[in-house]
Formats: sequence, structure tokens, C-alpha cells
Amino acid sequence: MLNLEKTNKSLKKTLIAFIIFLIVVGIWKPLALVYGIQRGGLYSLIGLPLALILGIVGILNLAHGDFLTLGLYIGYIFFNSWSIDPLISMAPLFFILFGLGMVIYSILIRRVLKAGHLNQLLLTFGISMIIIELIKIIWTTRPRSVYTSYASSSVTLGNMSIGMYEFIYPAMAIAVLVILQLFLKKTRLGQAASAVGQNPKGAEIVGINTNVVYLVVFSIAFGIIGVAASVMLPRTPVFPLSGNPYTLKSFALVAMAGLGNLNGILIGGITLGVAEAIVQSIPGYEGWSDVVFFGILIAVILLNAYRRPES
Amino acid sequence: MKKTIFPIITILAIVLLIFLPYFIGAYLLHVLMTIFIYMTLALSWDMMLRTGQLSFGVAGFFGVGAYASIITCSRFGFNPLVSILFAGFFVALIALGLGFAVLKLRDIYFSITTLAITMVFSVIIRNIPKLTGGASGKVIPNVIFNGDSAKTYWLILSLALITILISEMFNRTKIHFAINSIRNDEIIARSSGINIFGYLLFVFIISSALQGIAGAIYTQQYGFVSPETTFSLDFLLLPMAMALVGGIYSTWGSVIGALVLGFASEYLKLIMPYGHLIIYGIMIVLIILFLPKGIYGTTKDKIITHKIEKKSLSE
Repeated sequence: MLNLEKTNKSLKKTLIAFIIFLIVVGIWKPLALVYGIQRGGLYSLIGLPLALILGIVGILNLAHGDFLTLGLYIGYIFFNSWSIDPLISMAPLFFILFGLGMVIYSILIRRVLKAGHLNQLLLTFGISMIIIELIKIIWTTRPRSVYTSYASSSVTLGNMSIGMYEFIYPAMAIAVLVILQLFLKKTRLGQAASAVGQNPKGAEIVGINTNVVYLVVFSIAFGIIGVAASVMLPRTPVFPLSGNPYTLKSFALVAMAGLGNLNGILIGGITLGVAEAIVQSIPGYEGWSDVVFFGILIAVILLNAYRRPES
Repeated sequence: MKKTIFPIITILAIVLLIFLPYFIGAYLLHVLMTIFIYMTLALSWDMMLRTGQLSFGVAGFFGVGAYASIITCSRFGFNPLVSILFAGFFVALIALGLGFAVLKLRDIYFSITTLAITMVFSVIIRNIPKLTGGASGKVIPNVIFNGDSAKTYWLILSLALITILISEMFNRTKIHFAINSIRNDEIIARSSGINIFGYLLFVFIISSALQGIAGAIYTQQYGFVSPETTFSLDFLLLPMAMALVGGIYSTWGSVIGALVLGFASEYLKLIMPYGHLIIYGIMIVLIILFLPKGIYGTTKDKIITHKIEKKSLSE
């Protein structure tokens, strides 16, 4: 749940460790650092909406990555049918997924809020399956891609060549994070959302309409998925499973950062991105980079479980 | 009267199933074999679910069993049947090791960790090509029993029957009380002196071993493994859908679900060759929303309430 004071205290410690880690990697493998920050930014951007839903609504959305895929396809349609640039279609995509989130919440998620974790997981698992198969039926499994001239621009520094477009990922992740924090702290609705995240029953007693809060948070999170989809579209092949791996990766971030710790998502995302890039930069071990993510996910979950023996 | 009829029906059904290859064609036999494999997976998944732990690791243990069997068979010259048994022991051993770490977790953390473990298995197998054939997979020259479908059918049937037997043993012996109380309230279970971790580990090892054996038999039947197809999430999703449709927490629920969905999907494949899996997704969603107890659970409840009504009327 959202625990802002505690996260602020521990944030300083982790921030220092994080910066030291980045400096060490920067001296040792500068290229891995750059790639890692770029990729980690994308992971954080995609992880934020999952963290928001899990932290406030309390639902682990296993169809998270598949809604990202859906966003990619919608962005592709915008580009292909009306030749609208992905970065411009970001706005309509935000609202389309916002609306989709409202529909999904109202007709499906709302019914299982009190039904226990098992039913919630199975429901979102079923939704994930429906989306994947629906995409296969509508668009077949043929991979598609969007070409924009700016996406392949690069800069040569000394003897390394760095793609410039990818820097938009960490930039967008920071922008979304700042806007979200402002929303949660400064607006009445956002404050209500934080309160519901901390203690749903207490929030209901003081007169907060939890259902509205859940609906809004769920829809905003879906809108962010739309933004993430349009940002990654120029550099991502679009096929029915292109977003699927991000569900687990996003959950890995949330498990690392702790529930409700949105800043931690950014730090965790970049740490994991850099760790992955380091493994990929070792010749002969490129294929093992996925193990980094899942290995860290398993290790963090186990560590947390053993720290609190009663759970 | 009912108590004498039930065993007779069961024995008749088993005898019928054993002699089935003499009466039906190759196609129907093949459909039945697939259904029995999925039935085994569905039941073993449900066994773990009865303890309150939702495992997403079915595809992982299935895949490891498949690879263990193929590798021992082609590399070390094991007899296919021995290699299937070895796969079962190997997966049980892995489950024992993993169980010590994973079974302390609860709720979404257990589920996600088992899903992550499945991914780790497939990444590891993809990255040791010398042993596993890497991303392109591995083919063995001979399928089991040289492709004799009747013998393969009996092998798969015996696996399904053993699984049903184990599941019924779990439901009828003392274990049943322990498992149910762990699912319902762990604190009460612990204060009643139940060794929660011991029971969880026991069920985890048994169900994983069954999944491993199912994977081993399945690949021996086709003689082929690859990371994409062997660790396919279908081996997780379809059994889950089957158990849900039939009714979770019971043996006959999974059996009914596997038969209904198995034949339904064969039919759907004919009229809708592409994307027929969407039906499974829709079924999972609808069942969760409207029929959380499944076909078997709902009818059983109806019969029980009907009986109670009758009793109260006659009194």
C-alpha cells in the first residue's frame, strides 16, 4: 500500500546506492550503462501503470502486457491507415486505452474486487488469453513495424554509436512519474486515491467513494499503457506477443520496489535494465539476459518473504 | 444401494476404456490421448490449488519432464519407459529443491514466482544447446512403441487413472482435512497441529512429478521437443480452463472439464482453425464471473439442496 513517509526515508539510502552503482558501471562498461538506462526507462514506463493498479486497486493485472500489445496495434493502425506519427497518436491512444480501461473495470474487474486473489488472477489471465487470440484472429501472427526517420538516428561518441531515439524512454518515464506524483499529492482525487491505497475500509468510512477512485485509477493506468505503446512503437516489432513479456517484467519491478513505491519503479527499472545490458555485453552470454530479470524477481520475492517470517 | 452401484460403474468404465482401442478409429483414439494428457495436468494443478496455492508452473514442470526424457533417451540410451520414469523422479527432485524456497510464499507471490520459474527453465534450456539442441529443439529417431497407438493409449490411460486415484486418495483420506484447513485458514490449521509446510511440500512434489511424467509421455509420443512448443503456456492455460469449467477442488470436476473442453476444442479446431483458443479465454472469464464452482460443483450443490428440501418436506 502507499506509504509515502517511509519510502521518502529509505529513498535517500537507495538513491545513494543507485548512483554509486551507475557510476561504477559507467566507468567499467559505458555502453552498457547507456543501453541499460534507455531500456530501463522503458521498463519503468511500462511498470508504472501495473504498480498503480496493484498498489491502489489491489489487482495484479496479468493482461498488462497484452493491453500494451493492443496499444501497439492501435498505434500501428493510426500510422498505417492515416499516416499519423506514433508520437502524435499518443494523445488519442491515451484516451482510447483510458476508455478501454473504464469498460474493462466496469464490466469485469469490479465484480471480482472482493472475490479473493485466486479469482482475480484467473480472470486477468483469461482476459490476457482473449486479447492474444483476438489479435491473432484480426491481424494474424505476421510481425509488422512502423518506420519513422527519426527513430534510427544515432550519435557517434569516440568509438561507440548510440541510438538517440531511445532516450525518450527514460524521459517519458520521469515525466509520467512526476505527473502521477503531482496527481496523487496535489489533487483531491489523487489524495483520495492514496488514502484508498493505504486503507480501503478507512477511506470508505471517511466518505470516499472507493468505486470511483478505483475506476479513475484503473483508467489512468490504462491511459499510461497507451502512452507507453506509442512511445515504443517506432522501435518495436508489432506481433501478438510483443507486449506479453512485459507483464512479468513489470511485476518484477513492483516486487523489487515494494507496493505503492512509484519512485522505486524508476530506480528498479534502470537498475534491472543496466544489469541486463551488462549480461548482454559479455560475448557468448547474450541469451542469458532474461535470467537476470527472473532471477532477481525470484530472489527479491524470497528475500522479502524470509524477512517477514509470519507471512 | 448407491454405495454398491458406484464401484461397479467405475470398474465397467475402466474396462470399457481399456478395450476402447479395439472399437474406435485412430483419430478418436488420438483425441482421447490428448484429452487424458490434459486431464492429468488439470488434476495435478487442482491438487495444488486445493491447498490454496495457485501454481503457474505447470508448463515448466511439463517441459522439464519432456526434456529429461528426451535427453536421457537419445544421449544415454535409456529405454523410453525408463526415461519417462526418470523424468518423473527428476522433476520430483527439482520440486523438492524449489519447494523449500517457494512454498514459504503465499498468494500472488507464489503464483508469480512459479511463472517466473517456468521462464527460467525455458531460458536455461535454450542456452545449453549442446545438451538440449537450443532454440531449434531436438528430435529422437524413434517414437515410443514405434508409433503403436494402442500401446501409447494404454500408457497415457494408466497415467490418467493413476492421477485420478491419487487425487481421490487426497480427497478421501486424512490428508483431505489437512489440505482443506490449510486452504481455509492457515492460522487455525497451524494451531490444530498441522505441519503446513510438510503437507504443501508433499502435494507440490506429487503434482509436479505427475506433470513431469505427462510431459515425458507427451514428447515420447511425438518424438520432438523445442523450447517454444514444449514450454508453451497452452500446457498451463488449457488445464486451468478445464479444471475451472468442470469445477475446482474436486477430482470429477477436472475429469468432466477435460472431456467437455477436449471434445469441444477438437470440434472448434475443425470449424475455426485459427485462434480457437479464444474460447478457452472466454470460458475462463465467464466461469469466474458467473459459475465460480464449475459444472460439477454447481450440479452437486443443486442436488444437495434438492435433497435437503425433500427431507424437510417429508418431515
